[in-house]
Amino acid sequence: MNRTRSLLKYTLSRLALVPIMLWLISTLVFLLLRVAPGDPVDAILGNRADSSAREALRLKLGLNEPLLNQYLTYISNLIHGDLGQSLNNQESVSQIIARTLPASIELGLSAIVFALFIGIAVGFTGIAKPEGKTDLAGRLFGIGTYALPPFWAAMLIQILFSVILGWLPIGGRLSPSLIAPSGTGFLIFDSIRSGNLIVLTNSLRHLVLPASTLGLLLSGVFSRSLRINFEKILKTNYIEAARIRGIKENKIIVYHALPNALLPFLTIAGLTVASLIGGALLIEVTFSWPGLALSLQEAINQRDYPMVQGTIVVVSSLVVFISLFVDLLIAFVDPRIKY
Amino acid sequence: MKLIKLAFRISLKFTALVLVFIQISCTPQKNNNLITIASNGKIDSLDPAQANKLLAIQLISALGDTLYRVDSNGSLEPRLAKEAPKVSKDGLEISITLRENIFFHDGTPFDSNSMAFSIKRFKDIGTLNYIINDRIIDVETPEKYLLVIKLSRPSSSIKGLLTSINLTPVSPVSYSQYQDKFLNKNLIGTGPYKLIKYSPERISIQPFEKYWDEKPNNSGINYISFNTSTSLYSAIKTGQVDVLLSNSIEDGHRLALNKSSKKGLLIEGKGPAMQIGYIAFRTNSKLLNKKEVRKAISYSLDRKLISKQVSYGLRDPLRSIIPPILQINSTPQWPKYSPEIAKELFKEAGYCKNKILSIPLTFRSNVPSDKLLALTWQEQIKRDLADCFEISLNGVESTTVYKQLSQGIHEAVILEWTGDYPDPYAYLSPLLDCKKIKNESCEQGEALIGGTFWGNIDLQESLNKSELLVGEERLKELRKAEAIAANGLPVIPVWILNPRAWVQTNLTKPEFDGSGRLRIEKISLNNE
Repeated sequence: MNRTRSLLKYTLSRLALVPIMLWLISTLVFLLLRVAPGDPVDAILGNRADSSAREALRLKLGLNEPLLNQYLTYISNLIHGDLGQSLNNQESVSQIIARTLPASIELGLSAIVFALFIGIAVGFTGIAKPEGKTDLAGRLFGIGTYALPPFWAAMLIQILFSVILGWLPIGGRLSPSLIAPSGTGFLIFDSIRSGNLIVLTNSLRHLVLPASTLGLLLSGVFSRSLRINFEKILKTNYIEAARIRGIKENKIIVYHALPNALLPFLTIAGLTVASLIGGALLIEVTFSWPGLALSLQEAINQRDYPMVQGTIVVVSSLVVFISLFVDLLIAFVDPRIKY
Repeated sequence: MKLIKLAFRISLKFTALVLVFIQISCTPQKNNNLITIASNGKIDSLDPAQANKLLAIQLISALGDTLYRVDSNGSLEPRLAKEAPKVSKDGLEISITLRENIFFHDGTPFDSNSMAFSIKRFKDIGTLNYIINDRIIDVETPEKYLLVIKLSRPSSSIKGLLTSINLTPVSPVSYSQYQDKFLNKNLIGTGPYKLIKYSPERISIQPFEKYWDEKPNNSGINYISFNTSTSLYSAIKTGQVDVLLSNSIEDGHRLALNKSSKKGLLIEGKGPAMQIGYIAFRTNSKLLNKKEVRKAISYSLDRKLISKQVSYGLRDPLRSIIPPILQINSTPQWPKYSPEIAKELFKEAGYCKNKILSIPLTFRSNVPSDKLLALTWQEQIKRDLADCFEISLNGVESTTVYKQLSQGIHEAVILEWTGDYPDPYAYLSPLLDCKKIKNESCEQGEALIGGTFWGNIDLQESLNKSELLVGEERLKELRKAEAIAANGLPVIPVWILNPRAWVQTNLTKPEFDGSGRLRIEKISLNNE
């Protein structure tokens, strides 16, 4: 009962901090964007137009207002759930995020699944025969994938599988001839729901390369983490005691060692998911994946203040909630954790 | 050991599953007859009033028509207009008779009211509305098919402006809710194609059955966007797309595609060059305020070498700030590369005797060709004039550069320019125009925004006078203006870039209009 109460207290205190954290983040983003040289007018007009035309556009975009007024309007709108309109095309920021976020989540989750699969397989293989050749190869794999520059790796994979072998599409989310089924924006889910097998296979084909590339790059962290945790746990007394009692090695690993080895793994996976919600920029750029990171990068280049601010606030909120969820999940599965 | 076997078995099954999936789903991607065009960058808006990016302009030109178009010879060709514009004696009124029996994609007829609606809408909300706001004061519709444009001052260049994609008419009925805001996701124009589906990365258009002019030669176009030059190059090479537009294609890929077309693996089409690359000097700085110094620097630029090194010769060296298709001069105006003359001029200016002129050169760090130009020129100067002149390089992101130009932060900066409409005035005025001149220094005007701070009263008079003249007289004034600029050297042109398109060999050769836009409607299968 005490543990439940302390967990509830911890959750509430974390939730209470969310608005403060978001206010700090949004204020910081607001200020940093204004400090950066160049504004949306410079991005739109470049070296065109004279000062009066530039001022007219600045006026139209509401950039002539004093900074404090702009800030107060922004915060007030934010409190009312209004993220504003993109200065680039006057489209609602919420709509743009709603359109691009599912693409990033779909890519992030697929990559995590791939990374977990490869990471667990490599980690397991290594621990079965520590310091053996397979273990060494696994460790090299872990360090190698972690150290690979994502942009370079993505380009190589793209050239190999799309250009040389021609197995998979170069980029995008769906072939131009196909129409995405309406719904949530998650193409796989929407196509399954609408029973559209052509869109399903096509979107999966488009997803394979970016997801596996990102997954491969992340898998090293998982395999190393699993390998190290397993090694530590297999040396603990309770595992020795299980062995002495004559329990089979497979059972010891699956029922006794694995749950404990997976706990830190869970934390890493949770944080990775949280960080991928905002998109994996270099992967999205290389594979022309129309996700949130790509949209954010373009907004930064365009100095599209509302778009950058809105995206960061939404991503921050998601990261905060996912971190909280992971914390609670760990507390649930590990009774030793105290808050 | 058992674990290894288990992990191995699982991995094997997973790999097999992936391979089976890939093989099963490896069906051809194109399951309709539409031609797929790829390019770099998203199209955030299809609204003509909003259009300011090359790609959007390309798509809008397929969905809408303009009053006039520049043909491949550089002449004004009436489109929605029935004939050439008639200018009143005082030059303050332009009358345009419009074609009849033209329909918008929503079925409503095109007339002078819809044209006036579109011009006024652009004037009110257009992102680049400054191009008409200082000239057009009103638009009248005395007859159903007669449009009268009232000008604030006589303007010969307005004819070129009437080809601007921003003045593409849109249906007043469909845009009744969008008079004061943009309609980004659709374009109800009169063009040869109508929109089928839109997302910023994927757009499909199909022929408009009621189109008034020649019908498109294909059954429709899919447009897709890729973010990197490598992806675009790979997409055309592997046949995943049918047509590739050259915007944002890196020079190395451009060369490879050019070679592929020479080998017959692709077909290349080349449009008239409209984008010029140039170096702007801050003429009010201590280092560059002397004309002799700017002249010496101008002589030091080996355009041929730079073009060869950076673009493998695919960018033409340029010694004029007006594209050849709008050519007003048969002979280039800017100094030709001559390290000997440059050295003499540097000596005259007091350099070369243990005194080296050191100029910081800014390039836009997000434009690869700018960086290569800067690096090549730096090395070329080391080779030719090491004892007189040197440049230090400074890469700055483009939006920051644009902001800082008018603040006088950059001594010399590499920039590019594409006129808002195909007319010499659209090149001379934005680069050189100055409203307030004091001692050859510009205190207000485009020259200040462009970072040169250079003003010349004679040039200004010529530019203003050219707006009152027509024909050869106008060209004479524009020639004079360019000659003054070439003598004053606030900028030095470097090269000019042709738009290109590559298509698969089963398609017809890509054609461009006089504004450098691909004629999408002309593309068809070879056997059609």
